[in-house]
Amino acid sequence: MINQIILGLSTGATYSLVAIGLVMMYKVSGVMNFAYANMGMFVTYLIWWLTSSVGMNLYVSIVIGIIFAAIMGVVVERYGLRPIRHLSSASMLIVTFGILMILEGLAVQIWGTDYKPFPELVTGSPYVFRGDFGIFVLRRQDILIFSILLGISLALLFFTRYTKFGIAVRAVSENEEIAGYMGINVGSVLAFSWGFGASMAAIVGIVAAPKVFVSPTMLTYYQIQGFTAAVLGGFETFNGAIFGGLILGVIEKLVGNYISEGFKATISLVIIIVVLIFFPKGLFGKNVRGRV
Amino acid sequence: MASTTSKNPNAMSGDVEVRKLQVWYGPVHAIKGIDLDIKAGSITTVLGANGAGKSTTLKAIAGGVKYSGSISVGDELIDILPVHKRVEKGIVLCPEGRGIFYSMTVKENLLAGAYRRSKVDYSLVFDVFPILKDRLNQIAGTLSGGEQQMLAIARALMSHPSYLLLDEPSLGLAPVVIQKIAEVIKEINASGITVVLVEQNTSLALSIANYAYVLENGKVALHGTPSELLKSDAIREKYLGGVAK
Repeated sequence: MINQIILGLSTGATYSLVAIGLVMMYKVSGVMNFAYANMGMFVTYLIWWLTSSVGMNLYVSIVIGIIFAAIMGVVVERYGLRPIRHLSSASMLIVTFGILMILEGLAVQIWGTDYKPFPELVTGSPYVFRGDFGIFVLRRQDILIFSILLGISLALLFFTRYTKFGIAVRAVSENEEIAGYMGINVGSVLAFSWGFGASMAAIVGIVAAPKVFVSPTMLTYYQIQGFTAAVLGGFETFNGAIFGGLILGVIEKLVGNYISEGFKATISLVIIIVVLIFFPKGLFGKNVRGRV
Repeated sequence: MASTTSKNPNAMSGDVEVRKLQVWYGPVHAIKGIDLDIKAGSITTVLGANGAGKSTTLKAIAGGVKYSGSISVGDELIDILPVHKRVEKGIVLCPEGRGIFYSMTVKENLLAGAYRRSKVDYSLVFDVFPILKDRLNQIAGTLSGGEQQMLAIARALMSHPSYLLLDEPSLGLAPVVIQKIAEVIKEINASGITVVLVEQNTSLALSIANYAYVLENGKVALHGTPSELLKSDAIREKYLGGVAK
């Protein structure tokens, strides 16, 4: 049981990373990014290509990949979404669908549909703990994912509470027009949120790739689960996204183990429906609203 | 009041001139050619019924809506400046309905207001609103209505503006709080800040303003000093809601 929970937390931590990126983009720009998974997929391909075909060092390629992702996010926001911001969020949603298809088509055209192996960033034998509770196993890759999640969560917490730009990000996500009247350059905050989100997608691709292999649809399932995690957390706070992902990972693992593997995907849809009906603000949503 | 603690080095100075201002909201012609002269150092009020175009005029000066016509400060045209650049130049709008960031603390609201400042300086704000000093870590949404309005004005002051555009600061407040707000506006003006005040509360606005414009259907219906406007019974009945002399 305890091993199942740890495995679940590890998968869940990846979902949390997906959800953090989705929530950042959604909070600030009000758009649900359907191209998210494919942005990560495309960057993972790029990193794979840089290491295997160009022969670059893996870590250098990863840095290049994440920078490329950030630029891609900024460009998509600036030139794909901002010109139609005044129309509606539905039209921006369609643009993200378009980008989803473009990236998938490009990946297939350039690299084909074969599964490509991707190295684990940390290798070595797992840590094994024995005790009264029985035995539990901690893989090094799990520790890496937990550390990334912890690092990003703490960085986000510090950023949104104590930095000027972080406060500007929260101000824009609460009220774009009024944030503008405060002298905040709303455009640069929008661009930042997409750059950040796309970088998160790249990080997800990198940590998921050793398990799912590099392929055009490698992150589709992660996008769905990340979306569920974000809904579970109320789609408004990063804490919600983080805990939503972890909880979802554990639930999924336990369902897969004790009921059936086949129910894993179904369960997330059930969770979305149940949460939306009974907790429309998510499990961690704040019900405190200001007086008007 | 110890006001001139830290001046904004980029701030503009001089009178604000609005010429032939026109604003369209889609097919709606909201502002149909307005001329305003706002003297530096004065309190100028813009009055009128709902939908007369008062808020839109303020937003145009702040750069928050697209308009045609020209707006200049001193001798410099500001039409090409986006809203955040105008804040840098010292033109700050305090929006209607308070528009504070409800989920953020008082301090974070003030910091957002100081976004264009390289150094955060609370002294002006704490001079005018000492009460906010004790509320810094409170979530803004939990303040009372009057405190929220004070926070909204305080937040605008954090950028140390030369021109403060106030959109209906008395909206939805109790009379005693409105009186307090009126005193605050006079105090801010006395510290050298030019105030443009949009109000539905005509008697409040006319009691503190140096000059008044009355808008009707997107045009200036009349303008003058408060005493000139209040002289005529017909004007008081038609445009000023029968306010007493």
